[in-house]
Amino acid sequence: MSGKGLVDAERRRFNAIALAPSLIVLFMIAGLPAIYLVVTSLTPFQLVNPGSSTDFSSPLRNYRLLPDDPRFVNSLWVQAKLSFWGVLFQVLLGMLLALLLHTQSRVVEFARTFFLIPMVLPPIVVAIIWKLIYTPDISPLYYVAGLLNIAMPSLTSSVDFALTAIIIADTWEWLPFTFLMVLAALQTIPDEFSEAALVDGANRLQVFFYITLPFITPILVISGMFRLIDSVKAFPLVFLLTGGGPGSVTEVTNYYAYLLAFDFNEIGYSSAVTIVMLLLVVAVSLGVVWMGRRREAMA
Amino acid sequence: MSDGISGPIRRSASVRRLVAIGVTLIVLLSPFLWLLQMSFKSNDLILQFPPPLIFTPTLQNYASLWQGAFPVSFVNSLMSASFSTALALVLGVPAAYALSRWAGRGKHAVSFAILVTRMAPPIAFTIPFFLFYRWIGLLDTVTGLVLVYTSFNLPLVIWMMQPFFETVPPSLEEAALVDGASTRVVFLQIVLPMVTPGIAATAILCFLYAWNDFFFALILTRTNARTAPVAVVNFMNYEGWEWGKIAAGGSLVMAPVLIFSLAVRRYLVSGLTAGAVKG
Repeated sequence: MSGKGLVDAERRRFNAIALAPSLIVLFMIAGLPAIYLVVTSLTPFQLVNPGSSTDFSSPLRNYRLLPDDPRFVNSLWVQAKLSFWGVLFQVLLGMLLALLLHTQSRVVEFARTFFLIPMVLPPIVVAIIWKLIYTPDISPLYYVAGLLNIAMPSLTSSVDFALTAIIIADTWEWLPFTFLMVLAALQTIPDEFSEAALVDGANRLQVFFYITLPFITPILVISGMFRLIDSVKAFPLVFLLTGGGPGSVTEVTNYYAYLLAFDFNEIGYSSAVTIVMLLLVVAVSLGVVWMGRRREAMA
Repeated sequence: MSDGISGPIRRSASVRRLVAIGVTLIVLLSPFLWLLQMSFKSNDLILQFPPPLIFTPTLQNYASLWQGAFPVSFVNSLMSASFSTALALVLGVPAAYALSRWAGRGKHAVSFAILVTRMAPPIAFTIPFFLFYRWIGLLDTVTGLVLVYTSFNLPLVIWMMQPFFETVPPSLEEAALVDGASTRVVFLQIVLPMVTPGIAATAILCFLYAWNDFFFALILTRTNARTAPVAVVNFMNYEGWEWGKIAAGGSLVMAPVLIFSLAVRRYLVSGLTAGAVKG
């Protein structure tokens, strides 16, 4: 065996030893729970009902119930609305913010950091902040509305505004993410294009629509997809601001699954809801990875 | 480098742009600043109408937090976040190195399998973890939290560290190998010291993800292992809403986050996109 062969063999052995513990631990703390979730989703498992966790007599019962469960169907719609408007606002406002802050200046570079604050705050603190803003007794928002003689409805307990209130808070929290992604994309655009266009007599709007926008479209799409996957994480906002209400106006699937398992004690059914949600998320995630690959291939 | 909108003519920020940036920043940060100023107000002042913007700050909210069970939950948060970060680094850093040097087939499959574990919404993990912990007695323990946080921190380490290892020139390692060093020695003594900044950034992000968790702690803890985020929310349940305590507790929970994220802001995007869903 040559020296190189020996080195390769040792390298392979080292790689195996370095990877194995992670893979084993990941399998135990992520793989097994996932498998167990599938197993419980096939049972009518209730904590108060011994034996229900091993009752596989009608394994697909939970899944058959799902399409006829109005709360489940409603939760998908609520999630779709929350995701759609949240992603739309975050991408648009993030892009505007990135355009505003994409300039060479030490002051601006320093200021950029502060725009990231909402995104890094603990989600529960974000929820607390918006709880303050939406609570009439102590809210500066209601105070200003009072000064201007505007009758402010209660945002979080109104059927018409509750979901909007959550979308606003979610947008505030995640706007910095899309901003950061778009800013990074803007910085890769070569100067020459816009310079040439301006010399040729194009105006700023034309430069934006014909040069900047095509350049940043892929990153707009990708950051939107990331936010789409992420939008199921609005749990703390729903939990603290509305509790899914009024009625089930803000009850997203994630929150419904939480209620089912930990309030209504329907572990088996909740598992089935979770699995369906998981499949939807994985489908979107695969899309992101695929688009990322394609982008890499193009670059 | 200049941007498409202001073009090459104005390379530095114009006054108009600076004003716009300033106004946007104030609007964007005012909700956050509102919580902060409230934490320094007495409860009378908080409820006073119109809200006084200029007032004598008081530390009484923070003092009252100190007297209750809050410090314990703060320590629980510190411990669970630190231990899960340490565990994820010890396991994940060698794995990331192996993956970055692995030329064979299967690399993408393994990387993707690792990423998938991070894409799952937290609820997918809570149900099995809750049942399992109930069975083996890990409910309401810091150990239980450490394990569950490792489920999203370990994939983060493996994904974030790979690019750092890829910046180490292979010629350096080959030279050492030819001189007779083992792969293990090369890794520990040559490669690892070169990626220390990457490890530091990854560690801080892991810490932040665990620190920011609310969902797992809400379900998997009760009193003994209750973390600071859950403790703050509990101020909303008993004896009416103690806004002063809520504001002070919230400010304390976000303090480490603000300090640490300033330190790693360059790596925030990669850290956030490496785990699009969980955290």
